[in-house]
Amino acid sequence: MTDSENRIEVQSLSLSYGNTAVLKSLSLPIARGKITVLAGPNGCGKSTLLRAIRRLHKPESGRILLEELDIAKFNDRALARQIGLLAQSPSAPEDMTVEELVRLGRYPHQSMLQPWSQNDSTALEAAMEGTGVAHLRSRRLGSLSGGQLQRVWIAMVLAQETDVVCLDEPVNHLDMAHQLDCLDLVRRLNVDYGRTIVLVLHDLNLAARYADRLVFLNDGVIAASGTPEELMTEAMIASVFGVQSMVITDPVHGRPLCIPLRTGPAHNKGDADAARS
Amino acid sequence: MSGLPSTLTAARAPLAVGLMGLAFVLLALSGVAFGSTWIPLDQVAATILGAGEKTQKIIVLQLRLPRVVIAALAGGGMAVAGFLLQKITRNSLASPGVLGVIDGAALGVVIFLAMMSNESNALVTSIAYQPVAAMLGAVAAISLVFILAGRQSSSAIRLLLFGIAVAAVAKSVTMVMMLIGPIYQTSQAARWIAGAVNEVNWGEIQITAIAMLPVMALAFLVARKLPPADLDEVSARGVGLDLPVFRLLIFALAAAMTALSVAFVGGVGFVGLMAPHLARLLVGRNVYAGLIGSFLLGAIMLVGADLIVRVVFAPTEVPAGTVTAIIGAPYFLFLLMGRQRHDG
Repeated sequence: MTDSENRIEVQSLSLSYGNTAVLKSLSLPIARGKITVLAGPNGCGKSTLLRAIRRLHKPESGRILLEELDIAKFNDRALARQIGLLAQSPSAPEDMTVEELVRLGRYPHQSMLQPWSQNDSTALEAAMEGTGVAHLRSRRLGSLSGGQLQRVWIAMVLAQETDVVCLDEPVNHLDMAHQLDCLDLVRRLNVDYGRTIVLVLHDLNLAARYADRLVFLNDGVIAASGTPEELMTEAMIASVFGVQSMVITDPVHGRPLCIPLRTGPAHNKGDADAARS
Repeated sequence: MSGLPSTLTAARAPLAVGLMGLAFVLLALSGVAFGSTWIPLDQVAATILGAGEKTQKIIVLQLRLPRVVIAALAGGGMAVAGFLLQKITRNSLASPGVLGVIDGAALGVVIFLAMMSNESNALVTSIAYQPVAAMLGAVAAISLVFILAGRQSSSAIRLLLFGIAVAAVAKSVTMVMMLIGPIYQTSQAARWIAGAVNEVNWGEIQITAIAMLPVMALAFLVARKLPPADLDEVSARGVGLDLPVFRLLIFALAAAMTALSVAFVGGVGFVGLMAPHLARLLVGRNVYAGLIGSFLLGAIMLVGADLIVRVVFAPTEVPAGTVTAIIGAPYFLFLLMGRQRHDG
């Protein structure tokens, strides 16, 4: 293991679906112990990049290094002990219980020679406690609310005990309260458990609120990356998202807050100023 | 079941499997006891364990027991194939028939009967080669399914669609050959297709059992990987299971198990659908209990069906598959209607 500040290093990664190039020689360092949020317009390649980091897509060229080791060289279970993934729309049988699902997070830690151990039990209990689903353990998944279900999936990823956790739009189908609830939980994975988080988020304001590092993708390349304060500017949002907006500072959290005004790529300085007055 | 104390829930799977085992033993003994002369159960058990006088030994060991054993192996094998398929497709309506294996085997049997019959409707070779023909037909069918699906073989739905297509083609060719074929061939083929527990000898049982053993062992070895296969593909790969590759392996195992089951007994209907479904209801989600429970229930169903046809229709030999179909078809409808209510 190294002391490098980057947990993961994406190097000149290119990837296409058929003849459509999705990622174009993209390079990106992922900082250790930080929350990195990938954002960008639809079809910009952010989910593809996240899946590539979890080796669900085979790169055409380029490589992804995890602690300076090429992830292509890991076997399936070894990689699953390093990088966890919460899918965009995960699904499991409705009659599966909460505990059974969270147990599956221990799958990469077991083998024929390593049956269920005390370590696995400890990790299972810790994951359920940490996400507040321990009291639901014998409930069937089909009987849970959307917010509870998302917590259980996060518990499964937590039980996997990976240093890196990737989450693909985890708040997509949740209402406002559960969105905050879910992302607060993700932040706790980062702060309390020291996990490196890579998160794809659609909502720019949520991204700005939870990200340590924000990455804007556009058309398969990195448009910009930096702190939310550096990236959330009216000019940047106009050029990446094609939306004219006003960016103010969130009076409660001190993070940048974007108020969209209208679509249109041309940045007209007068608009935001006029809206401000 | 969440209302039950956890110790009771934990004991449920072994308890259910134990009861099924007991039911199977009793039914198998009854299967041997029934016949033109009734042999009491205790004498049946004693004869199997080595006691008894000579004629009784011949009746039990040479005439009746092989029939029960092949029924148990075939019913159990079909049920295990169904269990694996229902698990890997995440669909409780999947059954061994969907892979095209059974119809392929039927076509193999019909081609064998057609080619080996002479002008007076008699076979020119031994009927003992019929299972070989069934096996070849089954292997040809599943190979064709995998070749047609090609690079899409890892997709469950594509594979099932090609399986259904190959099954349909095999079935229609079988029909045509039966209609234009000689009379002997038609009745013999119809008997195979319905699924009959034929008179088999111990040598044939040995072949079936020895071939089934490694397939079963492999199924148990990889059963550890079945729980994450319950997840969607992305999540399964996220916890380290290469689902597309694993799915291919399970399809191949299920196809092998089906082919071995039908080779001697024929295309017994619905056991591969009903037994695993009932087993999962009884034992819950534990995959090892599910595998054993499916085998036992499948064995119970086919041994029971054969017993019913022997008791009800004697001395006419009616294929046991007719009974499983008569019970299985309404069960399938019931399942479908339950699902509709659930989905809508």
